[in-house]
Amino acid sequence: MFLTAKTTVKPFMKLSDLIDNNPLLLLMLQHFNIDFSVLDLSVSQLSAEYKISENLFISIANLYNGFGTNENETYSKTDLLQVIDFLENTHVYYRSDKYQQIRTYITQLQQNHPAKELKLLEKFFDEYFNEVIEHLDYEDSVAFPYFITLLKKEKGKSVQELYSSNEYNDHHTDIELKLQDLKNLLLKYVKINGDLDLRRRLFFALYELEFDLYIHSQIEETILIPSCISIENEQNV
Amino acid sequence: MYKFSSQIVVFETSRIISEGLQSILYQSEIDCRVYYVETLDHLKVTLESRPINMLITSCMMIMNREKEIKKIRRSYPLLNIVGIDTGFLQKHSIQLFDSTFTLYDSSEQIIHSISKLVEKNQCLSSKKTEEDNLTDREIEVLTRLVNGQSNKEIADFLNISIHTVISHRKNITFKTGIRSQSGLTIYAISKKIIEIDDYLPENLT
Repeated sequence: MFLTAKTTVKPFMKLSDLIDNNPLLLLMLQHFNIDFSVLDLSVSQLSAEYKISENLFISIANLYNGFGTNENETYSKTDLLQVIDFLENTHVYYRSDKYQQIRTYITQLQQNHPAKELKLLEKFFDEYFNEVIEHLDYEDSVAFPYFITLLKKEKGKSVQELYSSNEYNDHHTDIELKLQDLKNLLLKYVKINGDLDLRRRLFFALYELEFDLYIHSQIEETILIPSCISIENEQNV
Repeated sequence: MYKFSSQIVVFETSRIISEGLQSILYQSEIDCRVYYVETLDHLKVTLESRPINMLITSCMMIMNREKEIKKIRRSYPLLNIVGIDTGFLQKHSIQLFDSTFTLYDSSEQIIHSISKLVEKNQCLSSKKTEEDNLTDREIEVLTRLVNGQSNKEIADFLNISIHTVISHRKNITFKTGIRSQSGLTIYAISKKIIEIDDYLPENLT
């Protein structure tokens, strides 16, 4: 069931089948504020019910299913505002769900095993987590409000040049890298005896987080930023 | 998790060919991302901005453009170029390609010729990553690095240039898969390159 074959999402497909095929789509539903009881609804019915445009829904669903986005796809301003909502929801998920869970596992691991390396690993994770929080705060307080103003602005009104999508692009640091380090350390280098249940839970949590972070940055890089840059260009003509 | 191992660009103006090819690729075992471009300019931009490792194009597209294709070859020596024979492939242009298939090949045949090239690529890159043993010099650089010395300090101490230090650091990251300094510290301790007690007192309070 777990991503053994990739399915390209199509409007007529039933959500329940798609989730059966790739349960990680549940994350997507949650970020879109869609309830998990999807009844017998198809992709186009469900997106209509939640007032999400079909092409946006399909683009993101296909990202979760392991495909890239179509570069030629265009998104309306309403779509992009929904994308921002979606990304803000992913922030909540990282902050209050995933990171807390991983933190708990690492603390537990450190308590179960006296190896001093684990103390360092805990410190490593805390440092990393602080960086992530900083990045999320930056997006929530600077980048997203800018995009929202840009998207809600009426045509012809002058733009306050305080900030731009390109600047966001520069600032957009890669928070996946340290996560990769953490995984490599646990898989290849730090020796721990036994405790497989706890360690498996930790790994699964790390992979789930990594997967969602990857989608998150794909949405920003291939949907949000290019669309906002072209809106900026239009307004500055 | 989701780093596409092959990034393929299809340079083709026929929608039937490019979309058909994309669906054949996505349904196959090849782990790839496919882009399509219709103009030479767009192709150049794509090659510059993305880590493309394969270009698929038909002989119609490169007719009278041999020079440009050769130029692309020179700029991207690792790029594989696959030609689609639409029935007009001339003998002298065959040599431009690493592999070719025809429009009437079955999807298995097409995938077969493409995956051979993909495997060749992966073979090349896996040879590079196999090694995780650091050289003595790299261990020396690593030890100084995790003790908080800067590139400049390490260069002065070991009497080598900063460039050399940077290239050692790149190799260390490449071999271990660890990028951050704090991650490398944990690596060095796990591998007993440095003693944890040397490191702990000041850093773990």
